[in-house]
Order: sequence, then C-alpha cells, then structure tokens
Amino acid sequence: MNEHDAIRELLPLAAAGALDEREQRRVDEHLAACTVCAGELERWWALEQSLRRLPTPQAPALLVERTRMRIRAELLERAERTVNPWLMGFLVMFSWTLALATWPVLRWLGGGSSSGQFLGTDFGLDRSWLAFAGYTLAGWVVGGVAALAMAVRHVATRRTT
Amino acid sequence: MMSPALAAVWGEGVSPESELVRMRRGNPEAFEELLSRYQHRLYRFLVRIVRDRAMAEDLFQQTWVRVVEKSAQFDERRNFEAWLFTIARNLAVDHLRRHRPESLDEPPPGDPAGEPRSALLATGGPSALDRVLQRERSEQIAEALERLPLIYRETLTLRFEEEMKLEEIAKVADVPLSTAKTRLRRGLVWMRQILEKNYAREAQP
Repeated sequence: MNEHDAIRELLPLAAAGALDEREQRRVDEHLAACTVCAGELERWWALEQSLRRLPTPQAPALLVERTRMRIRAELLERAERTVNPWLMGFLVMFSWTLALATWPVLRWLGGGSSSGQFLGTDFGLDRSWLAFAGYTLAGWVVGGVAALAMAVRHVATRRTT
Repeated sequence: MMSPALAAVWGEGVSPESELVRMRRGNPEAFEELLSRYQHRLYRFLVRIVRDRAMAEDLFQQTWVRVVEKSAQFDERRNFEAWLFTIARNLAVDHLRRHRPESLDEPPPGDPAGEPRSALLATGGPSALDRVLQRERSEQIAEALERLPLIYRETLTLRFEEEMKLEEIAKVADVPLSTAKTRLRRGLVWMRQILEKNYAREAQP
C-alpha cells in the first residue's frame, strides 16, 4: 500500500479527531500536497457532521414521570432500610431496660421486697424468677406479634403502590 | 474535572458526580437533577442500540434503578457519564442476548467494513457521497445508522452524539482502545457505503 492509500484509510478518523499525534502529523503533511485527499477529508467531515445533527429521540414525559416515581420509592425504601437497624436496636435496648426496671417497681408497688432486695436475691429458679421470665416472655410475644403485623401491612402497602 | 460548558449547565462546583454522591445519601432532588440532565441522551442511546422504542423505555427505567442500586460502588473520581452509559449498554446487550441474540452477531467475514482498503477505494466515488450529503435527509442518515451492526452503531453514537473520547468509548464498550478506534473507522466506512448504495438504487431509472 502506498502512502496515498495509507492516508486515505486514516481520513475517517482524522475527520473524527481520533488520530494520535504521530498519525495526525502524517496526515497533515500529506494533505498539504494532496488535494484529492483534502477533498476526501471534507467528505468524511460532512458525513460526521450529519451524524452529529441527527434529531434526538425525546424520552416520553410519561416514561420520565414513571421513572421519577419509581426511583423516589426506591430511595425512600433504601433510607428506611438504613435507619431501621438502628431504630430496631434502640427499641430492643429500650424494651429490655423497661422490662428489667418494671419488675422491681411492680414488686415494690405490690408490697413485696424493695428493689435493692430484689437485686440482692440469688439466681435460683424460685417463684419470683419464674414470674419474671413469664412476664418478660409475654412482653416479647406481644411485641413480636405487633412487629409481624406491621411487616405484613408494610408489604401489602408496597404491593399496592 | 468539569468543562466550562458543563459548569455553565450545572452551576459552578455541581458536577454529575457530586449529584450522584448526594443521591447516594438519600437526596431525591439530586436524582431529579441527574434524570433531567440525562433523560433524552440516555433514551437516545438506548433507542440507537436496541432499535425499538418500547424496549428502550423498559431499559431506560432499568438503567436508573441500577444506577441507584450501584451508586454505593461509584468511585467519585470516575466519569459519571461513562459509568451511566456503561450500565445502560450492558443492560441493553444482556436484553438483546436474551431476546434477539441474532442482533448481536459479529459482522460476517468479508463484509464491506471488514475490508477497509478495498472498501475505501471502491466506494461509489466522492461524487456519490457529495450528492447524498447535499440533499441530506436526517431520516436516511438515521436509517443507515440503524442498519449497522451493534458494535459500530454504539461506537458511532457514542462518538458523534455523545461526543465521547475514544478512551471513554473503549471503557463503555469494554474493549481495548485500538479496538474502539478500528470500530469507529469501520463503522464510518460501512455507513458511507450504505448511503452511497441507497443513493445509487434511488438514482436508477
């Protein structure tokens, strides 16, 4: 292949501004002396300009709106997922604190021993410890049922939106 | 780094990359900005790739959902546009592979663009292309672009409609730079041949 043919192969890329420095220099030097290739470069450039001027198909407004709604819901859900573990951790700690704190209060209100005496008891499974375990378990069962009901409702809401 | 033109559109210091970071932190307004900025360009790219508006609409939504899902993995030093179009391109190619695998076929050996030397020298001649372009009709140009195989279609649309550099095109298409360059040249040669053949057909009595 002679230099003229080699340069002609580079012309589409030259018009697209996609040559490296060395190739561009080679093309420029050839074009300075070759009117045929200069004309050919003009043609490639015109073709590429016509590609640049193609009308842009517009995204339908309804599609954009649907996408906007979907992504907003997605972002909300992600934010919920991020917050929920912290919220749940806090609620668990809070409920345990309440459970532990209410037992001595209840005993004190019921005329039993004081909270100091309660904390000073041994850890054998006597009647008071069984009652404490039952009381706590009941609290957790109620809480669990409530959480399950909320989750079911949340899923149902998501399905309808 | 934002170009002055981009800065004029986005405002100083607000790049698409920083908008994505804001969106990642759960800011819906940042997403609105990105959607408004890229809605038509992304849709155009998908239409060019899949050649079907209904399919492009489906992929448009999927692309944005994927952007949200993958936003945590986005490296702020990367170019958002190249990242966005890579996601869209991969979804489109996967979709075509599942539903229209024949559309992903590589150009057959001996196709016009596979023989650049003879193709370049044996085209309908300068005058034919001149006449085609003189009476340029955008629908004919778009139709010729549509007839190109996927690898050339995506390269030409990324270069001339999205104004991407070769390096960015190579990243989006996940090919070496030299391959992106070859595809650009072959795509242009092929397109020119389609236009000239169409012209010759129309010019016949």
